[in-house]
Amino acid sequence: MSCENVERDLDAYVDHELDPDGATAVRDHLSGCAACRRRVAEREALGRLVRSAPYYPAPDRLRARVSARTTRSTSVRRLVTWAAAAVLVVSVGGGIALMRSTATRGDAMVNEVVNGHVRSLMADHLFDVRSTDQHTVKPWFLGKLDFSPPVVDLASIGFPLVGGRLDYLGGRPVAALVYQRQQHTINVFVSPERDGAFAAIDVRLVRGFHIHHWIRDGMSFWAVSDLNDAELTEFARALQAS
Amino acid sequence: MPPRLFEETVLPHLDAAFNYARWLTRNDADAEDVVQDACVRAMRFFSSLRDDDARPWLFAIVRNTWYSRVSRRPSLTEATPLDSARDQRPDDALDPEERLLQRHTVARVRAALEQLPVDFREVIVLREIEGLSYKEIAAVVRVPIGTVMSRLARARERLLAVLKPATRMETLP
Repeated sequence: MSCENVERDLDAYVDHELDPDGATAVRDHLSGCAACRRRVAEREALGRLVRSAPYYPAPDRLRARVSARTTRSTSVRRLVTWAAAAVLVVSVGGGIALMRSTATRGDAMVNEVVNGHVRSLMADHLFDVRSTDQHTVKPWFLGKLDFSPPVVDLASIGFPLVGGRLDYLGGRPVAALVYQRQQHTINVFVSPERDGAFAAIDVRLVRGFHIHHWIRDGMSFWAVSDLNDAELTEFARALQAS
Repeated sequence: MPPRLFEETVLPHLDAAFNYARWLTRNDADAEDVVQDACVRAMRFFSSLRDDDARPWLFAIVRNTWYSRVSRRPSLTEATPLDSARDQRPDDALDPEERLLQRHTVARVRAALEQLPVDFREVIVLREIEGLSYKEIAAVVRVPIGTVMSRLARARERLLAVLKPATRMETLP
């Protein structure tokens, strides 16, 4: 691969948007070309620099105004939903409850994972223990849970661990590990896998949040974030391999 | 699945929406107006969201809202797309106070970003600050992925040209 070709793919390479073959070709070229390595380093440094630019969170005034509007429209919508539900109950009676199965339990769990994530962001209760040190976060869970969650920092690949907290999912206490990627928060919920009910669930997009689920060494992991799918996949793979 | 609720689906992305709008408009008051209008639209179109990712969806609405406001008020210079006059402004043209501010890296980065033409600025903000994929950016901006790539490349070249002389890129945090 020539420098010219690499230059064309430089941005896509830095942004992890090349297919695996393309990325390998660029990496091979970089190992023997200092000039292109410098170009990559420059772009990566620029990325860090740009991320140091101010992030403008929504002013409280705006949040209050928008919330006030949604509460109004939601109460109308809820009324309509309830009315529809009432009609449904009258027509099919209690039959619906029988249709609940492990599949819908999986859906319910996915929903709880997203709720847990949103709650942690909205209620401003992201951390019980705030630390980037895995050796501080891991012992913190001792005595608070009847299991010991594996805790690894992934700062080396751009996903620093920033803390942890206790949370509840499916009526059980779980360890929530919090990672950061640029402005995005990733929650990883860890608990012992008890009945294998959710083993089949892999990647989901629910209410605009990406979710990965996997089981390893008897532990169930749920990673959830508003991060894009490619980067959350990279994160989940790294965590699975750690 | 219970019905998706607007406040659970869209409101968590309010900060991101405001950040994007703030970089588009470059001032707080306009960004607030844009996001408020965008949220009203988002509520109206909420049923069209289905299982799609809510954040890029909201960005697209913010962007459309902003563009429709700009087209109603074409005289606003800071809202003009491809605002190359500001982009070319040499440092010498800055007054002493602005020059002082520029010594600070963050202020310099902000200035460099704000001086980019809006078409370049938004792809940089969506990629570097909001972490969107090329595909998501293409959907928000409504251009082909190839255009996203070339805008990103050109935006980065401009930023490097502006920021490199004063800062050694390799030694940055």
